[in-house]
Amino acid sequence: MARTPAELLQGTVDILILRALAWEPMHGYAISRWLDERSGGVLGVEGAALYQALHRIEHRGWVTASWGLSENNRKAKFYALTSAGRAQLRAESVVWKRYADAVFKVLSPA
Amino acid sequence: MALFRLPRRSRAAIAREVDAELEFHLAMRVGALTAGGLSADEARRQAVEEFGDLERTRAYCRAVDARTERAVRMVDRWAEWRQDVRYALRTPRRSPTFTVVSLLTLAVAIGANTAIFSVLRAVVLAPLPYGAPGALVQVSESRTQNPNEPQPMSPPNYVDVRTRQHTLADLGAFATSAFVTWTPEHADPVALSELVVTPSLFHVLQVPPLHGRTFATGEDTPGHDGEIVVSYGFWQRWLGGDTTIIGRPITLDGRAYTIVGIMPRGFTIVGSEEMWRPLDMSDDLAHAERTRKQHYLHAIGRLKAGVTPDAARADLIAVARRLEAEYPDANTALSAMVAPLHDAMIGSLRPALLLLQGAAALVLLIACANQANLTLSRALDRRRELAVRSALGAGRGRLVRQLVTESVVLAAAGGTLGIGLAALGARVLLALNPDSIPAMFSGGLDAGVLLFSVTLSIATGVGLGVVPGLVAAGGRLSEALKSGARGTSGRSAGHMGRALVVTQVALAVILLVGAGLLIRSFDALMRVRVGFAPDHVLTARLRASGQRYDSAAMVNRYYDGVLDAVARTPGVVAVGAIQLLPMEDHWTTAVRLEGQPVDEGRLPDAGFMTIRGEYFAAMRIPLLAGRTFDPSNRPADSNTVIINDAAAKRFFPKGDALGARIRIGPDPHGSWLTIIGVVGDVRDEALDVPAKPALFLNHRQNTWLSSLAIVIRTSGDPAFVVPALRRAVNAMDPTLAVRDVRPLDEVVASSLAPRRLALGLASSFAAVALLLAALGIYGVLAYTVAARTRELGVRLALGASPVGVLLLVVRQGTVWAALGLAIGVGGAIAFGRLLAGMLYGVGPMDAMTYGLVVLTVLAVVGIACLVPARRATRVDPLTCIRAE
Repeated sequence: MARTPAELLQGTVDILILRALAWEPMHGYAISRWLDERSGGVLGVEGAALYQALHRIEHRGWVTASWGLSENNRKAKFYALTSAGRAQLRAESVVWKRYADAVFKVLSPA
Repeated sequence: MALFRLPRRSRAAIAREVDAELEFHLAMRVGALTAGGLSADEARRQAVEEFGDLERTRAYCRAVDARTERAVRMVDRWAEWRQDVRYALRTPRRSPTFTVVSLLTLAVAIGANTAIFSVLRAVVLAPLPYGAPGALVQVSESRTQNPNEPQPMSPPNYVDVRTRQHTLADLGAFATSAFVTWTPEHADPVALSELVVTPSLFHVLQVPPLHGRTFATGEDTPGHDGEIVVSYGFWQRWLGGDTTIIGRPITLDGRAYTIVGIMPRGFTIVGSEEMWRPLDMSDDLAHAERTRKQHYLHAIGRLKAGVTPDAARADLIAVARRLEAEYPDANTALSAMVAPLHDAMIGSLRPALLLLQGAAALVLLIACANQANLTLSRALDRRRELAVRSALGAGRGRLVRQLVTESVVLAAAGGTLGIGLAALGARVLLALNPDSIPAMFSGGLDAGVLLFSVTLSIATGVGLGVVPGLVAAGGRLSEALKSGARGTSGRSAGHMGRALVVTQVALAVILLVGAGLLIRSFDALMRVRVGFAPDHVLTARLRASGQRYDSAAMVNRYYDGVLDAVARTPGVVAVGAIQLLPMEDHWTTAVRLEGQPVDEGRLPDAGFMTIRGEYFAAMRIPLLAGRTFDPSNRPADSNTVIINDAAAKRFFPKGDALGARIRIGPDPHGSWLTIIGVVGDVRDEALDVPAKPALFLNHRQNTWLSSLAIVIRTSGDPAFVVPALRRAVNAMDPTLAVRDVRPLDEVVASSLAPRRLALGLASSFAAVALLLAALGIYGVLAYTVAARTRELGVRLALGASPVGVLLLVVRQGTVWAALGLAIGVGGAIAFGRLLAGMLYGVGPMDAMTYGLVVLTVLAVVGIACLVPARRATRVDPLTCIRAE
C-alpha cells in the first residue's frame, strides 16, 4: 500500500470522518465539532479538507447524504455511513493501527 | 425502487446545494464565535479564514457531485433496464397465448427472410469465386435471327476472335465431354466428369492451383495434352488428399495422363467437373473449313482495365462482321455476344430469388403489423397500469422504453428461433432442390447472414415497441385513471389498429395472388402432354470410351451387347438409347429440304437426336406414320431419318413427309437423308417450351457419339433392373462404368425443381400471411368486443337481437377486410407483371386466381370475425349493467 504523503493525509481525513459517522449520521459542522472534541483539539480538520473529503467519499459510495433539520431547526445536509463505508472503516482502521504501532515502535527508545 | 428515488438534480441544483451546505457550516461557526463574544463581522471573517480555501472547495464539491449524479443516473438506468427486461421476461407467464403467437410469428417471418437471404447472398450478392470476377465476361456467338440466345463458338472462330479483338486482356474456353472412365486399383471403374479447357482459361479466371501448376501455353498442342489438373473434391475423395500425387500417372479411358496440379476447394467452372484436361484444337484448326461450323466451345474473357462489357461487345461484333465477310460459308448470320459472367451463370435465378425475398419481406411486414397490433392492444389494456406508473413519476419516455424492451426481448427470442428455422430451412431447400441452385453457390448461415437476421430482429423489435408505445402512451394517460374501467382505446390507437389490419389483409392478398398464379402455372405444367410416359423407366448414362472403341463396329458391338442383355432381363418391356434425355440438353442443326429454295442466312433449325434400339417404344412415343429404325442392322436404314410431328407439319404441310429427303448441318453438300417415319412430339427442352421440329438419326450410323443415355421401360419398379444393367455393362467391358442411374420421372421432376422451390416457398408464405391476417382481424375484433362489452350489453338489454349484435361485429370486420382486399388486389395487379416470366398457361391477371383469392380471404376473415362476434352475442346484459 504505497502512498504519497498527500494521499496519506487525505486518507486520514477520510477515516476520521468515517469514524465520526459510525457514531451516528451527522452534518459537516457536527463532524468537525465531534473530531475537535474527541481529539482534544489536536485533530482540527479545516472546513475545506472536511467538505472535499465528504463529497469525495459520497462519490465513492461510503456515505450517503440527505437533507434534514439541524438541532437549531436549520436545513442541513446529513451524512450517514453505508455498509461499504463501514467495511472501509474496518479495513482502514486495521491498517492505521498497524502503521501507528510501527511508528511508535521506531520512535520509542530502544 | 427506481420509481421512488430522489428527483434528478440539475447542474444548478447541485451548485445551490453545495452553497447551502457550506453556508450552513459557516453560519454555525459564526454562531459559535459570536456566542464567544466576537462581533458579527469579526466572527464571519474568522470563520471563513478557519475554513481554508472556500472557493476551491466549492468548485471541488460541485464537480464531485456532478460526477456522483452521473454515476447514479447510470446505475438507475441499468436498474430500470433490468427491471424492464425482468418485466418482459414475465410476459410469457402473464399471457402465454400472446407470447406463443408472437414468437412463432416472428420466428417464421425472420426465419424465412434469413433462409432466402442466405441463398440470395450466396447466388446473387457474393462475387464469383474467381480472381477479380467483375471483369469476367461470357463470350459467345449468336445467330442474327436469335440475337439474345448465346451459342458456343467454333474452334477456328474462337482462335480468330482471340487474336483479333482489342478489348479483352485474354480469352479462354472450355468444352464439356460426357465423362471419362477411370479404374482405380482394386475397385470398379468410375465415371468422372471432366472439362477440356484451353490453358489460357485458368489465367483468365485468375485462380492459382492449390498444389502443383495449371497448364502452360503450348500444352494444347499434340504431345502436350497428356497432363490433367484435378479438383479438390476428387483429390480428397479418390486420392486421399496426398500431395505427392503430383507428377504421378493416371489412366483415363485407357490412356496415360500425368496429374500436374490440384485446384483449391470450391473451384469449378460448370459446377460438377472433377478434372480438367488441355483442349487439343490442332486437329480442328487443321480442318478449319469444316470445323468452323462446329460450335462447341464455351468462352470466358477478362475485360481489359477500364473496358465495359458494352465496349467489348461492340469490338467482338466488329470482329464477327469481318469473319462473316471472310468465311461466308460458315459464318453467315453469325454475330457475337458478351455478357457479365455472373449474369450469364445465374440467369433466371436472380429475378426468382429477388421475388422470393420480396415475398419474405411481405411476410415479415405482415408479422410486424400483427405484432404491432397485439402489442398495441396489450399496451391499451395496460393503460391503467401505465397511468399509475406515470403518476408515480415514470416519464413517458420510460413507458415507451419499457414497451420497446419488451418487444426487443420478444423479437430477439423470435429471431433466435428464426435463425434456427432458417438453418434448417436452408438445408432442406438445398437438399430438396439440388438442381435449382448451381453447386458452386454454397449457401449457408455465415457471419454476414447472421448479422442480417440479428439486425432484422432488433430493428423489428424496436419498431414494434416504439410505434404502439407512442400511441398507447400518447393522449392523456390520466383519462385512463379516471375512467376506472378497462382502458378506453384512444382514437389514434383505434385508427392504428384498423390501419394495421387493412395492411395485413392487403399484403396477404398480394402474396396469395402470387402463390395462386404459381400454383396454377405448376398445375398447368403438370398436365402438359410431354409426349412420353416418364413412369416405369430407368435411365443411365453409358460410354464406350478408350482406344478400343475407335471403330464403329466396336461401338455398335458394345451397345448391342448391353441393350440385348438388358432386354432379356425379366420385367423389362423395351430398351433404347439416346444421346441426351429430354430436359437434359438439346442440340439443334440446320435443315435443308430437297427441292426447296435455300436462304443460307435463314436455314430452319431442328432438334437433333441420335437414337438406338427401341427408344420410341421404351419412351412410349407413338409412331404416327412410316416405321422406326430396324433394330437389326438393315442396309436399307443407312441415310434414313425419322422426324417428329412438329417437323412434319412445319416442313411438309401437305403431309408428304414420308420418302422426302433432307440434308442436315451447315454443309450444303452433305448426303441426303430419307424420311422413313414420323413420331409424336416430345417436350424435350423444358416442360413449358412446346415441342419444336426435331430429327432422329440412327446411332448405328453415327457412332462418333460415344456416350448414350440408356432408357429401360420396366413392368415393375425400375430400380430392380439396376443390377442387371450393371451386370450387362460389366459383361461387355469390365473397364467401363455406368453413371447417373435414375428413374426418368426424376429427370423430369428435377427440371421443375426451381419452379417447385419458388412454388413451395411462395405458397407457404401466402398461407402464413393469410393466417396472420386472420389472427390480426381476430385480435382487433376480439379487443373491440371486449372494450364494447358494456355497450353491447346495453343494446341486448334494450332488445337488440343477438343476430343483430353478431352482424354488427361481423360487419365491422368485413369492412376492414374489404378495404384490405381492394388495396391488395390493386397491389397484386401492379406486382403481377413481375411474375409474368415465371407463369405458364395463366396470365398475370388470371380471373380464376383472383376470384379464388377473394373468396378464400373472405371465408377466412368471416371465421376470424365470427368467433369474437359470437362472444359479443353471449354478453350477459345484467352483468354488464351491474358492473356499471
